[in-house]
Amino acid sequence: MNNDDETAKADGGTASQSETVEDERHEEHPLEWDEPENNDKAPDERDSVSHRAEKYDDRKLVTGQAKYTADYEERYPDLAYAAVVRSEIPHGRVTGIDASAAEAMDGVEVVLTPESDAVPNGKYTSAGQSYPEPSPWDMRVLNEHVRYIGDPVAAVAAEDRATATAAVEAIEVSYEEDDYVTDPEEAFDGDAPQLFEDGEVENEIVGYDYDRNRMAHIEGELGDVDAALDGDTHVHETEWETIRQSHANVEKHTSLAYTDEDDRHVLITSTQVPNHTRRQLAHLFDIPIRDIRVTKPRVGGGFGGKQAMVVEPIPLALSLATDRPVLYEASRQEEFYAMRSRHPMKVRAKTAVTDDGDIEAIDLYALSNTGAYGSHGMTVAGNVGSKPLPLYSKVPNARFEADIVHTNTPQTGAMRGYGAPQGTLALEGHLDEVARDLGLDPIEFRRRHHMEVGDLDEIAGMMGGEGAERRIRSCGLDECIERGKEAIGYDDLEQPEEDHLHRGIGMALSAQGTGVAGDELGAAQLMMNEDGSFHLQVGGVDIGTGADTAFLQIAAEVLGCDEDDIIVKSSDTDVTPFDYGAYASSTTYISGMAVKKAAEDAKARILDWGSKLLDEPVEKLETGNGTVYSETSGDSVALEEIGYEAAYGDDEREHILGKGTHCTDESPPPFAAQFADVTVDETTGEFDVHKLVVAVDCGVAINPGMAEGQIEGANHMSYEMAVSEGITLDDEGRAEVTDFDEYGLPSATETPPIESILVETHEPTGPFGAKSVAEVPTNTVPPALSNAVRDAVGVRIREMPITAEKIASKLDERTD
Amino acid sequence: MPKTGGYAVDIELTINGERTIVEAGSETDLATVLRQHGYIGVKCGCDGGTCGASKVFVDGEVRMACGMTAADADGSEVQTVAALGTQDDLHPVQQAFVDNFAVQCGFCIPGMVIQAVALLDSNPDPTEREVREALDDNVCRCTGYQKPVEAVLDAADRMQGEQSVAADGGQPASLGPRGADSTDCCGGGCDE
Repeated sequence: MNNDDETAKADGGTASQSETVEDERHEEHPLEWDEPENNDKAPDERDSVSHRAEKYDDRKLVTGQAKYTADYEERYPDLAYAAVVRSEIPHGRVTGIDASAAEAMDGVEVVLTPESDAVPNGKYTSAGQSYPEPSPWDMRVLNEHVRYIGDPVAAVAAEDRATATAAVEAIEVSYEEDDYVTDPEEAFDGDAPQLFEDGEVENEIVGYDYDRNRMAHIEGELGDVDAALDGDTHVHETEWETIRQSHANVEKHTSLAYTDEDDRHVLITSTQVPNHTRRQLAHLFDIPIRDIRVTKPRVGGGFGGKQAMVVEPIPLALSLATDRPVLYEASRQEEFYAMRSRHPMKVRAKTAVTDDGDIEAIDLYALSNTGAYGSHGMTVAGNVGSKPLPLYSKVPNARFEADIVHTNTPQTGAMRGYGAPQGTLALEGHLDEVARDLGLDPIEFRRRHHMEVGDLDEIAGMMGGEGAERRIRSCGLDECIERGKEAIGYDDLEQPEEDHLHRGIGMALSAQGTGVAGDELGAAQLMMNEDGSFHLQVGGVDIGTGADTAFLQIAAEVLGCDEDDIIVKSSDTDVTPFDYGAYASSTTYISGMAVKKAAEDAKARILDWGSKLLDEPVEKLETGNGTVYSETSGDSVALEEIGYEAAYGDDEREHILGKGTHCTDESPPPFAAQFADVTVDETTGEFDVHKLVVAVDCGVAINPGMAEGQIEGANHMSYEMAVSEGITLDDEGRAEVTDFDEYGLPSATETPPIESILVETHEPTGPFGAKSVAEVPTNTVPPALSNAVRDAVGVRIREMPITAEKIASKLDERTD
Repeated sequence: MPKTGGYAVDIELTINGERTIVEAGSETDLATVLRQHGYIGVKCGCDGGTCGASKVFVDGEVRMACGMTAADADGSEVQTVAALGTQDDLHPVQQAFVDNFAVQCGFCIPGMVIQAVALLDSNPDPTEREVREALDDNVCRCTGYQKPVEAVLDAADRMQGEQSVAADGGQPASLGPRGADSTDCCGGGCDE
């Protein structure tokens, strides 16, 4: 019966889809896409793209030669080292700072306090986003009003690290303490201590209400959800809770600032957003943008934690005050309490479902704890709804609301998945439960409703405003589900022989975006050398993902040369073209398309020179194997000869340069189907995760080896969300975690084997069919594991992490 | 923060085959001293012994260089990842990490490579479980361990192949002095 229903719906759905392509919104997003020429090469036509090319920097990385920010230390013999005095109280005012003992210490260069001239007094946001920032300006570099244990109060520069640390310990800060609140529900209650006064924040965000500690409120609705909930349907409601997850980037936040011989201020810094950081520093320090240079060497992991200007103002202020280069490297303890974390949230899911299993309405509500400052709070919360809900865009009524509140707890920020993990847990856990309650197969239940090619995703528009809808032009969800089922052994699961052990499989779907629709920019420039090689200058940021390699493969595919014949220089604001940075899964899609355009621009010039040298019309020429060749005569000329001719040849000689800029209103979702295989001990609640399988449709994988690595790493991070406590806080909001051991990152033996499956589709808006890959598998393990435990022993864990104790407690409740 | 300070002492170290005397604080950790002398492949991801990025060989034993003082290494032979292979001539373990896409940001990789080489020296044919156990105190945030584990297993296969060649006079596959089974060459710690 289900099958019949599905067929009927599929047919009906397609018909009604084409009939309703009438209104303007649909016309703005036609299914037919004017795809650039040569963008849709078949797999066997691709020379460089889809090739497991060696990662550009790997040889340097495995031999320990690659340079990260701290490795530039030796280049500056007069380097001073920074350390920061941080608030020891959750909320209050600094009444005095006694730095006399510190200042008297040998080797201490300067102590800066909020009063110091070198310290900017203006407000800013640390969120590294486009301009104008969709985040409140509510921070200062050093604070008199402190709002969490960890707020920076003073900064020191000293001859060496030990002296800087000792100086920090010698500084006495006195406070007048205020009442504080650490629980988000209490903070939102109305009677709680208030973190911000009205008028204190610049660039306020929609829905702010500082009397209730709310920094923003967002909502969107399609159809009439209340009517559907009041109708003749089953209404289900569940609530879910997620952890305060740490980025745990192994390279700590590190930044080195100095003033160069041209009086320009240089930041060598571990960042995902060099251009945004430059703009933010210029604004904050009142220095012209042109006089700041931000450059990024190798970055030891970001995951969103470095999509923020977290540490850079400190070394810049100290270098201005001392006229010396200054290095600030956060301590590992600071990483856990004073850098950034994933927003802990409570998400409530409600649906109205008919007797036949049709979903009439989905209603999601999130309460997000943004901590002491606003930062990415509003945009992250938006993605709780706007990323997972489009999976079920066939559902006629949908609503999402979120309140983002301040508490006296450490700061949150952007983190891989960017709100989608919290929303995906709630939605995919909820729908699984609904299906089971109605006696439906959870996978078939999803299949009846999930998004398909041709669908217009109006939910993206519901959250993003008019015009933000998107047409789905590639979707491999069905294949993801089929191949995932097969890989996990869904249809032939064997139960353990012991009666008290039960095995189950859980699955969850996920969708993400690729860049921010209408709010991205990437640019690239390609210079040809006279030996036929190229320099690729690209603003796109490689933070370890392999983006530089993907750029090379895209350029090589266009130019018909080897990747080794291209040298890439990325992310130096003095040298490379503008780019918004590495976030929102945009790098390959946006910056990669800019690279493709730059390469095509250069290729046009190369073909002109080839035409001249081969005496054949351009239309007959193509690039390949490091040559320009004639498709008719078979004659060819090497790129090296073209390089020399262009540089030293006739009166029309030129430097062959290609340039490309890309921005777009498109943000095609990649998709994933996650499976978790678990055995639960009914007597103790202990569980063993045998395997995680995740099948991902990322369009065309530019480098399948790197794409698998991204998927597995993301899935590991997702597994951590499901089973680890994250950063735990005491009653005052003090982080109880000081090192990796206390944080409880799953180690190599604690992580189950992860199998990644690439499902290739073709996304016509992306370079050679690519969309994004790095975030979508971050969303799926918490719901899949919760669903697997439910499948195995019939109990539901909604509060992360999933622990043996919680399962045992639920099992006890069940038997009571 | 790295541990420094104490009274100044002279410490004799043989680093990657090169004998040197360094002056350092008695409390200064070995990782800081090695990095100050240009061995930047020794990484500091934690502040004392919980991430594994600073792993080096000290007299053949794997140690976290941030978790011991340089003075404790006085008189020792120290080998960092730079001793294993060059960019043009990678150690089989390094090559396997590259070929298996086990390297993303790369910050933890020197420590992982050191640990993997040590494992394969003592156990040339490990099971997947044994590889995971060996890497258990190496924190890698990017890969989720799947590809590093596959890389080490792949390296084991390659090195077993090479060892059968080496028996006929080929190049030794790994560092010698600290390996229980191989004592015939410095294995990359020198230029021979």
